Amino acid sequence: MAGYALRRLAVALLLVWLVTSLVFLVIHLIPGDPAELLLAQGGVSADPAMVAALHAKLGLDQPLWVQYRDYLAGLAHGDFGSSMVDDHPVSEEIALRLPRTLELVGVAGFIAVLLGLPSGAMAALTAGRWPDQALSTAAGLALSVPVFVVGTLVVLVLAQELHLVPAGGYVPLARDPGRHLLLLLMPAGTIAVGLTATLFRVSRSAVLEILPREHVRAAQARGLAPRTIIFRHVLRNALMPVITVLALHLGGLLGGTVLVEYVFNYPGLSGTLVDAVSARDYPEVMAIVLVISVLVVLLNLVIDLCYGLIDPRLRYG
Amino acid sequence: MTKFILDRRALLAGAAALPFLRSHSARASTPGNMVFGLSSYPPTIEPWANGGTASATVKLMIHRGLTSFAADGSAQGELAESWTREGDRIWVFKLRAAKFHNGDPVTAEDVKWSFEQIGDPASTAYFRAEMQRIDKIETPDARTVRIVTKEPLVTLPLWLASFHMPVISPKSTKALAIGAGPFVITGQERGVSIDLARFDDYYKPGLPKLKTLRAVAYADENLRVAALHSGDVDLIEYVPWQAMDEIAADPALKLDTTDGPFMYLVFNGSKPPFNDARVRRAVAHAIKREDLVKGAFFGRGSGLAHLPIPESSPFYNPEFKNGWNYDPALAKRLLAEAGFGSGLSVTLLSTAQYGMHKDTAEIVQQHLAEIGMTVTLSLPDWATRVALGNRGQYDFSVMGNTADNNDPDGLASAIDGSLPPAYVRSFNLPTPKITELLQLGRVTFDEAKRKAIYHEMEKVAIEEAPFVGLTWRSQGYAMRKGVTGFTNLPGALTFFTGETFETTATS
Amino acid sequence: MRRFLTPAILLGLIVLLALATPFLPLANPLHQSIAHRLAAPSWAHWAGQDEYGRDVFSRLIWGARTSLGVAFTASCVAGVLGICLGVLGGFFRGAVELVTLRLAELVLCFPPMLLALLVVTLLGPGAATMILCLSILFAPGFARVAYAETLTLRGLDFVTAQVSLGAPSLRILTRTVLPNIAPPLIVQFSLTVAAALLLESGLSFLGLGVVPPSPSWGLMIRGARATMTQAPLLLLWPCLALSGTVLVLNLFCDRLRVLLDPRSSTARPGFLRTALGLPPVATTVQAGLLAMRGLTLEVQRGASWVPVVRDVDLDVGPGETVALVGESGSGKTLTGLAIMGLLPAPIRVAAGEIRLVGTELLRLPENAMRRLRGSDIAMVFQDPSSALNPLHRIGTQVAESLRDAPDEQARVVALLGTVGLPEPGRVAQAYPHQLSGGQRQRVMIAAAIANHPRLLVADEPTTALDVTVQAQILDLLAQLRSRERGMGMLFISHNLAVVADIADRVVVMYAGQVVEQGPVAEVFAHPRHPYTQALLASAPEGDAVRLATIQGAVPQPWALPQGCAFAPRCDSAFAACTLDRPALEACGDGRSARCLRWREFA
Repeated sequence: MAGYALRRLAVALLLVWLVTSLVFLVIHLIPGDPAELLLAQGGVSADPAMVAALHAKLGLDQPLWVQYRDYLAGLAHGDFGSSMVDDHPVSEEIALRLPRTLELVGVAGFIAVLLGLPSGAMAALTAGRWPDQALSTAAGLALSVPVFVVGTLVVLVLAQELHLVPAGGYVPLARDPGRHLLLLLMPAGTIAVGLTATLFRVSRSAVLEILPREHVRAAQARGLAPRTIIFRHVLRNALMPVITVLALHLGGLLGGTVLVEYVFNYPGLSGTLVDAVSARDYPEVMAIVLVISVLVVLLNLVIDLCYGLIDPRLRYG
Repeated sequence: MTKFILDRRALLAGAAALPFLRSHSARASTPGNMVFGLSSYPPTIEPWANGGTASATVKLMIHRGLTSFAADGSAQGELAESWTREGDRIWVFKLRAAKFHNGDPVTAEDVKWSFEQIGDPASTAYFRAEMQRIDKIETPDARTVRIVTKEPLVTLPLWLASFHMPVISPKSTKALAIGAGPFVITGQERGVSIDLARFDDYYKPGLPKLKTLRAVAYADENLRVAALHSGDVDLIEYVPWQAMDEIAADPALKLDTTDGPFMYLVFNGSKPPFNDARVRRAVAHAIKREDLVKGAFFGRGSGLAHLPIPESSPFYNPEFKNGWNYDPALAKRLLAEAGFGSGLSVTLLSTAQYGMHKDTAEIVQQHLAEIGMTVTLSLPDWATRVALGNRGQYDFSVMGNTADNNDPDGLASAIDGSLPPAYVRSFNLPTPKITELLQLGRVTFDEAKRKAIYHEMEKVAIEEAPFVGLTWRSQGYAMRKGVTGFTNLPGALTFFTGETFETTATS
Repeated sequence: MRRFLTPAILLGLIVLLALATPFLPLANPLHQSIAHRLAAPSWAHWAGQDEYGRDVFSRLIWGARTSLGVAFTASCVAGVLGICLGVLGGFFRGAVELVTLRLAELVLCFPPMLLALLVVTLLGPGAATMILCLSILFAPGFARVAYAETLTLRGLDFVTAQVSLGAPSLRILTRTVLPNIAPPLIVQFSLTVAAALLLESGLSFLGLGVVPPSPSWGLMIRGARATMTQAPLLLLWPCLALSGTVLVLNLFCDRLRVLLDPRSSTARPGFLRTALGLPPVATTVQAGLLAMRGLTLEVQRGASWVPVVRDVDLDVGPGETVALVGESGSGKTLTGLAIMGLLPAPIRVAAGEIRLVGTELLRLPENAMRRLRGSDIAMVFQDPSSALNPLHRIGTQVAESLRDAPDEQARVVALLGTVGLPEPGRVAQAYPHQLSGGQRQRVMIAAAIANHPRLLVADEPTTALDVTVQAQILDLLAQLRSRERGMGMLFISHNLAVVADIADRVVVMYAGQVVEQGPVAEVFAHPRHPYTQALLASAPEGDAVRLATIQGAVPQPWALPQGCAFAPRCDSAFAACTLDRPALEACGDGRSARCLRWREFA
């Protein structure tokens, strides 16, 4: 068991290294020079001498492999570097924004599981009849509206017209817990719309596959109550594909909430990432990608362990 | 024809009439405190570097320079109480009694130090190149500054009014620049908001009126407007053009707009077809500017068929108003003369990241199709677009900008072909006559003579078309009715409107 | 099939529309008319005009072409890529698995937005770049699902059999693996297309999508969002188009899945069904433990119902073991399931009654039936490995039969002991996959007899086990018979040798009918029906080398011959056999036979 875990960990580290190296390479390849961008703000022409000076200052004049080596060396010391734009230590920025993104993704996932799983199971149990048709249609609709449209509508209706909620933003939990939750629920709820629909479809499909299985009929033959059969012998067996898909989506959300953050002015990690790419702020991009890939890899590890917990046949590697 | 448009206001009016559902909307508005919606978070607020317009707005809250702009575009005294000129090259500024945020008095030494920092060869200051025109700075006493220029420099006071030329204390550190402006930064959350408080020892008695000021960044323009409607903010900048009409019609809000920034085309003069002035002029005459104003800016703006010298400026030349008027027949003729009678294909560089740039490009593409020019759009992200522009890797491109000030010399960065390559102006397009006239205008003090010089310059510009004006666009601020004392400065000065925060009050 | 056609046609229409766009008489989607921007729908412009005055309807159709083209192409490419990776990894395991799966995981570690951003910035925006981007992004999803399914499938017998037979891997993969893992992959495809459409709109929102002015739904949404308050309809059209397409696609994939997966059924699960209306019975037939009279079961075929079990009478006395014998397709299993009330959804009870000590079972509501199951009547299924839930411990599943008895644990262990399992305590803690086939069947039997049922229905309990184990299980059943006094057993099997040892009486079924019944020894010694004779002749005895089989096959319920059902295969058939259907006649000594010539077989 320990050997298996160690092997997985080693592979995980390899993956993280591969991802960050790939990003390092690509981001240096794409056109756009951070020094030039910084100095060309507001439409002024960047004096080549000044650009060169800034290059030297930021270490951009070194050959690529030297920059890479220095970057890895810095990482080994736990130094993520500083933003090229305003010299702000990148680790501080990540420490500030990461918990918010985790909160956002966590709450969205929670809502989606709470709503999507039971409704998917119910739809499967009433397959072909009106509850299933209604739910499936609703899920189809929810899956097909872009998240930024939903967000914009939420802001328009709830904030602008009805004045029920503030128009986006963020407030730390310590300062104002109520408002913090409200400002978190809006973007989380918006994300949850699509996520719930996805989980709905996957749970429905998974339960439909389990229902005709022999062990369900055997359970019925033992005279078990429907509730027992559903929870013990159907839902539990249907969990595997559901958590697989959930993990896939949560991992993708970690770096992909930029549209929702934009529409709700929620200062998460994804927005920072996109801005950093726009500004070609290499250290910031690299650090955020590193953190996200570590998290995704960890998430996958946790899911694999969960597989073992759920299905005894998959234990011990 | 019956209108199908759903009146969602009617739909929601019922719902909105449930008072017990309304939450406390008096979030932002307590008298003396104001929340201001920025259009983006300033990437940096280094005092002398150009960090963009959001950065400039914040700088105007915390810094002051020797001079500032009055509403008519002339320079007025700030840290300098008054100034005189000794001959063509010597300017003597008398400082008033003012204090920095740390309590130290503002002395001539501080001014000298600030300017020398700006002019330092290693600095990244926006006005570094301009500062090279200054020979030396003398400080005969603590309240007098003598600036000696290498050659006559008419526009010096206007430069000094720029938000990139504040005077800061030599005790400033890189992290904290100690200025002498009406507000002090009390807190920041990177990427989100900046908190400011009144500086009690500000040199203008009774100002600033606000006790606290909070600037929150709202990158999404829809959300910015929603925040204003919902009461989360008292004042917003960069009002999106599609929202201007409804804000103007809303009795609870005020809209203050001015036409300051402008959209234009620049060209790659190093290769055909745009090395030929006739082709450039053909493009200028093929565009229906009213469509651009309507399509890209919802009618908020006006056509710009000449150089962007505003009508209110003394240097405005009415006879050139329609220098590049809409005349497709003329455009086709010019193309034919240049040898492209059977049409040609070019690429127009713009960006998909900013709606106004993209929209302008799409409409221009359509208009040029009608004179036989097939235009393909290249719409990379902004950073790539800037890189391509700086390197001249384009045929022609859409650009948006504002002049540095209302003086015609402020247009130099957009039309002067002798300057080093930059994405804001045409590439490799020599304009010897224009360069000469610009230089002349800088050193001539006589107003009448200057008018003649710039008249000639505009004439040449319209003929050579190193720059094709497209539209003025409206720059708007929207605020609650209770916000007073905030005035959108006219024309190119709109980005200096942050100066008026000192007189702003909320009720 | 009909339910599949509707969404298929709709989807086909959409695709056709997208393909045929250049040939349709649409307005120019690029032609601007700024003067008429944001115009409401009119006769000239059915969906109004957009922010540049362009015709919205035309742009919707052209946009469909772009958006759908990108989404479908990307999903197909992602699907092919992902399925290859997943299947190869799941099938070959080892190093291949490492490379393919980790490759997929590598992509997953990339924040999708970042990947899109980098690819588009590097290659420039446009449809081709988007397809590349989306394909890379969605491939891992397919890979993961394909991998998981292949892994499960690979462990199944019929695949390992092919592998050990040396069938070429490619053939196994294409002929066996792919068709079997199709259903979840189809769902994944529908999810992917929806996600691709949405991602395209998201990327266009950020300016990274299709290059304007070519229309795409994403670009239309982006443009409409800015003017949402002035012209809400503009936003509605592309959103409706998107939603509509996704809905149709979902429906199509759902129905396709049902079509392809024969096991899946959208009928109500058995444990949620209510009793079917049957005419009430007046007669009180009270004979022994179980009395079945005139049981007729029908299956739906197209618009009509076809009988699969016809007019079956069956009696089981207390303490008696009755064997129900026949080939597959004879209806014996269905008869057994009918007693339990566990008939599969397509089967309905057309007529008959089944009485268990006076209680009529077919007319009982489900919750009453549930009370009987596991306590008065119990069933042992054929395949113990699929009849046990692989996720729960043995003890837990057996305990379910005990219904919260106070000393559950001890009783479970005791039960496992009574069925002959060594170390019952350890077995109770084990999981099904840790036991052998024979042990699992013992567990099933333990669960079945936990509450000392009056009747035990054993449906081919030894068929899935190997020969030595079969004998042990039969011994066990025999022991139980003597130990559980009064328990009747209905032993369903096709194996006569087994039946001879354990049963008191035998009932032979053919094509849904009882053709002979009587005491076992006598029926086997002197069969009165040609089918029974043929069965006996073909049963392998001792170490017989040659297996005599019965010529022909059991007729399908909807294709029964006129006259006796067995006549086409019968050696003793004569002219009258093909004309009339013989009735079941009593032959004396508690025997009966359904043959016109039974007297001749003495």
